[in-house]
This record gives sequence, structure tokens and C-alpha cells, in this order.
Amino acid sequence: MTRGHIVIEDVVKVYDPQGAAVMAVDHCTLAIEPGEICMIVGPSGCGKTTLLNAVAGFHEITSGRIIMDGEVLCSPEKPRSTPGPDRIVVFQNGALFPWKTNLDNVIFGPVMQGKLARKEAIDKGRAMLADAGLSGVEHNYPGEVSSGMRRRVEIVRALMNDPKALLLDEPYRALDSLTKSVMHEALLEIYYKNKVTIFFITHDLEEAIFLGHRVAIMTTRPCKPKKILNVDIPHPRDYSALTSKRFRELIEETNDAVHEEAWKAFQAGEKEG
Amino acid sequence: MDAALRLGAADEAIAVLRETTPFGDASEALLARIAGIARRARYAAGARIYSADDAADDIFVVLSGRAEHVFKPEVGAREALRRVTRGGVFGWAGLLLGQTQRLATVTAIEPTEVLRIDTEALVGLLESEPLEGGHVMERFASMIQREFTLPALLAQVRRLSGPLTEEMSSLSLTLYRLSLWLRSPRPYLMLVGFALFLGFWYLAVEVWKLPRFREMPGLTNVVREWLSPSPTYGLSLYIAEYYQHIAMSVWRVAQGFFLATVLGVPVGLLLGWSRSFKEYVFPVFETLRPIPILAWVPLAIVMFIATESAVVYLAFLASFFATALNTMLGVESIDESYVRAANCLGADRWQVFRHVIIPGALPFIFTGLQISIGVSWFSLVAAEMVSGQYGLGYVIWTSYVMVRYPTIVIGMVTLGIVGYVTSALVRIAGDYLMEWRVRELALAER
Repeated sequence: MTRGHIVIEDVVKVYDPQGAAVMAVDHCTLAIEPGEICMIVGPSGCGKTTLLNAVAGFHEITSGRIIMDGEVLCSPEKPRSTPGPDRIVVFQNGALFPWKTNLDNVIFGPVMQGKLARKEAIDKGRAMLADAGLSGVEHNYPGEVSSGMRRRVEIVRALMNDPKALLLDEPYRALDSLTKSVMHEALLEIYYKNKVTIFFITHDLEEAIFLGHRVAIMTTRPCKPKKILNVDIPHPRDYSALTSKRFRELIEETNDAVHEEAWKAFQAGEKEG
Repeated sequence: MDAALRLGAADEAIAVLRETTPFGDASEALLARIAGIARRARYAAGARIYSADDAADDIFVVLSGRAEHVFKPEVGAREALRRVTRGGVFGWAGLLLGQTQRLATVTAIEPTEVLRIDTEALVGLLESEPLEGGHVMERFASMIQREFTLPALLAQVRRLSGPLTEEMSSLSLTLYRLSLWLRSPRPYLMLVGFALFLGFWYLAVEVWKLPRFREMPGLTNVVREWLSPSPTYGLSLYIAEYYQHIAMSVWRVAQGFFLATVLGVPVGLLLGWSRSFKEYVFPVFETLRPIPILAWVPLAIVMFIATESAVVYLAFLASFFATALNTMLGVESIDESYVRAANCLGADRWQVFRHVIIPGALPFIFTGLQISIGVSWFSLVAAEMVSGQYGLGYVIWTSYVMVRYPTIVIGMVTLGIVGYVTSALVRIAGDYLMEWRVRELALAER
């Protein structure tokens, strides 16, 4: 497995609203191994989404480099990478096009890129939806199915493009905790079949430890790795991992670090207010 | 075949029931009771399990093997053919409202083992557990619509008050909404509203003869004139000229509205999509937009020698601004995630425009068109009063000049009706183009 090796090298991002510079990301260095699930944990507003947006190509970076599989995505010469189907973002609030049926959403990537004719894309899309247990909703519009199903359809839409990496931006934030746990298992199931690199942003430590090979705990604004945890619970995992002794130990080991950053974020918020 | 199930077999039956859509989340106790009334049957490959139009007696749950389920064409299922395997449920026609016959023909294509459950026995059992039973029936209805792609009107399950709306064709949706509307108090309140209004008109003018109202044309007067084959003032439903006036006004509005849409939508899309275009155009646009349409009348007459094009121009102008402005707001309302997602999926700038910007702005565009057709009528009538021959505005103005008061009211009411119809046409076109939105709204209402 050599696809989807993402290296974030000394990346700095400074926002400049009304001349008062705000540092969002501070000399952040992080390597994501090919085929790894790398979880980024930090309090809301800590700058972790800025990092994801830089990898995806939605934002410029101020300095540093981001490299994927030897290709420089962005650097001081080219501060903004070009978004593309090799690294696909799954959005916080979901971004299935509500005006297209689920099937038309799923075939969007290959058809737009001209990689597949519509007919072939439909065959592939149907097969992939069926594989994810979503055959029943092909002809429904996203607004007609549950939010959990929408998230799964969105991941299928990304995987249709055979991406090197999936960038997930707190995709399960808006879901209730029961749906969330089902979605975690569904995501792992998809991952075991596709072995794509996953860069997953969350503020939920349990989610991070349950899913990830490694968990990077970030400092709050400016954002950089504070502690990197290797989760030595073997994959494939299922729901029973949540009650294992090792899982509780890992939570205990890291809880303080996360809690401390949450406090800092809270206090910084008070000062600003 | 009909022998009672032994203990192990009952467990197996419960296991397969749990894999089905309708019984998937039923309680252990209910599943055990259902398993208790189920009978096992086997079919050889190629055997016909039942044919369309047979009596709909048993419901079938597949234990193993594979069967082919083919709807008869009149049913109107979106997908006529369906293969059913373990956990699949068919033969549910007996659960549908007013349905006593099979809707499909089912053939085993492999050696197939099934559970047969008598429909009436099942319904009786479900009725004894009304809460859970109702839930099972709901899941049947949604399975019939979603997995078997049956139109919602047909897929109404017995003894369930509301139909499910998850998978509706536009026609059945319209009918469903109509039936909801008729069952709600709204149409009757509407009638009461009209009755009060007309009653007040009648009493104020003709019975009480209130000051200010005394001079107005009375209700009976107007109605008599309107329905008269030989009207006193020359205009009624029986006079060809009446329809010439209507046709003239409709034709002018149609031209103005058409031009406004053809020009206004692209201009609005560009305003929302291209920052530099907006910087050039929007300040001028915002300066011209608030100018009342009547202020344009003199210039319009100077600009267009023919009064006809001047009138159309005025109808066009007002609706152009409404359409362009709403379209621009529509583009600006689109969540940035959609554009980013399209970029991630490899869409180029033009594809984003075509597949994200245009459909994303459509709800606002149609709001704009609704407003635009209204202001188009408004400015048309104003223009017709000032210049032009024929048209409803002209009727109203000349009737005033010639002291034909009932005809003024005929003109006004006609405008109200014709305006409502054109506006409804725009709304229907919008619903047709935005089925996704109609369906979302229907679900939200449930």
C-alpha cells in the first residue's frame, strides 16, 4: 500500500481579518501513513478544519508544504492546492446535492471527469450502493432518507472516484449517539473493503480512539499536534472494542490532554468576548 | 407441508422474519406468534408460486432460494421485475386497501423454500397488538413503495389512516395534497371568507347604502351585467370583445414576462456567479430598480413609436428586475459546501455552474418568477390605462371615462382571476422542475 501518503510539513496559516493577524495553524508537522486512519482531535474552533481545508485545497497556506505521494500539493510558491478527486472531503453537514437522486449523486464524480459513460457509471454506482446496503434508496432524493443514510451515500459518492484519501470533517457531529455508533461500524466496514487513507477530524475523543490507528491531539488556536497516540487495539474492530479494558486505558491516558485544550479554548473564548 | 412447526423450525422462522423489512424490529414475542401461524412450503425451480389476479390469500417470506416477482403492467410499478431472496417478502397485495387479487406473478427460479402466512390471520394478530401492529403495517407500506416501487396511491395499507409519502409520483402527490386540502378546514374557511366579503359588498352598497359605498356598483348589478347576453354597457361573458381584451392583455404579459425571464435569469446568474460582473452592473441595477414603473411611461412612449411595444416594454421592465434580483440572491444562497464538493469530485467551472449553481438557485428563481408575473400584470395595467387600445387596463379606464361603473368591476375581477391563473401556472412549472423540493416539503408536512 503506497497510496495516500500525506505529509504536512511545517505548515503555518495566518488569517488576517481587519489587519489583526490570527494564527490558526502554527508550524504543524504531521505524516499520515498510506492506508491509515488518522484522527485529529481538538476542541471546536481550534484550527483543525483549517488544516483539512489546506489539504483539500479550499484555503491557502501561509508557509510550509503539503505533499501527497511525492506530489507537492501546496508550498510557498503555490499556496493553494487544487481540489481534486484524489482526496475527497466529506462535509460536516453533508453535501449531497439535494436536487439529484442518491444514484445521480453517486455517479457525479466519474461522469463529470469523463472517466465513465453515464451508463457504466450507473452500473458501478448501483453495485457500490448495493455493497453498502443502500440499494433501496437509489431513486430517492437525499432529503427523503435519514441523515445516517445520507452520510453513507456521501462516502460511497467519494469512493466511486477511487480516491487516495478521504478527508472527513466531523461528519457525524450532527447525528444522535445511537446513529453515530452505527455509522462508525459502517465506516470501518467500508474501510476494510477499500483501505483508503482516512484523515478524520473530530472533537470526540471516544470516536477518535474507536476508529483510528493513530490519534493526533491538537493544541487549541494556533493548532499543532500536542500528543500523538498509537491505538494498539487490533483492527478489524467492532462495537465490543468500546467496552474493552485497553480502550478505557487509552481514554484515561489522553483525556487530560484533551480536557486541558478544551479549557484553554474556553478561556480564550472568554477573553475575546 | 401444513404440519405445525417443530421447535427448531420455529427458531429458524423467527430468524428469517427478523431479516425482513416489515418484521425487522418487531419484538421477540410478536415474531414467535407470527412464526406460530406460518406454514412452510417448497417450490421446485421453475414452479409458479402464484399468478397475477389469483386471490390474494397468503403472504410469503423467502427462507432460501430465489424467486422472480413480476408486476402486471397496469400496476404502474417503476420497476416491474424484482428478484426476491432470503428475507424477501412478497404476496402482500391482500394488505392493500381494496385489493383482493394478486398484483404480480411469482416464479421460483431456484428450488425455493418459503414461509406462508395467512393474511387475515396476520392482520388479526397485528390488531391484537395495535401499537406494534401499526408499526409493522407502516413498514409494510414503506417496503411496498420503496423496494417494490409501487405508486403511493396503490401502496396504501389497510386500516392505516395516512398514506405514506416517501416515494410518490408527481400526479399521486398532487392528488394526495388535494385530498388533504379537502379534508382540512382550509377550503371551507376560504368559502366563508368569500361569503363574508361578498355579503359585506352587497349589504354596504345595496341594502344599507352607506356613505362612500352608495355610489359604487352593487354586487347584483355587476353579476347581472357580467352574465347578461345583452349587457347594458356592452361587456359581458357573452360578448366576443370581452375575450379580445383578455387575450390582448395576456399576450402582452406573456411577451413581457417571457423577455424578462429570458434576460433576467442569465443576468441574475451572472450577478451571483461573477464578482467582477456584479461590480460593474449591480450599482446601475440598484439605481434603476426602485424607479416606479409609471415614471418610465413617457420615455417608453418616446422610445417606442408604436404604443404596442411601449406597453410590452413596461410589462417587461418591472418583471426583469424582480427576476434578476431573486436569481442573484438564489446563487448567493447556495451553501459553499456544494461547490466545494463538486470541485472535489472533479467538476470544472462550467460543470459547477450547470450542475450546482443553476439547480441550487432554482427555488429562488421561481420565487422571483412568481413575483415577476405579478408585477408584470401590475405595470401592464398601468401602461394600458395611459396608452394602448384593448386590454383589461384599457377597459377599466375607458369605463371610468364613459361612466360604466359595473364594467370597471368586471374588468377588475377578470384581472384578479387571470392573474391568479398565470401565477398558478408558474408555480406548477416550478413544482415540475423541482420534484426534489416538492418531495422534501411533502415529507416535512407529514
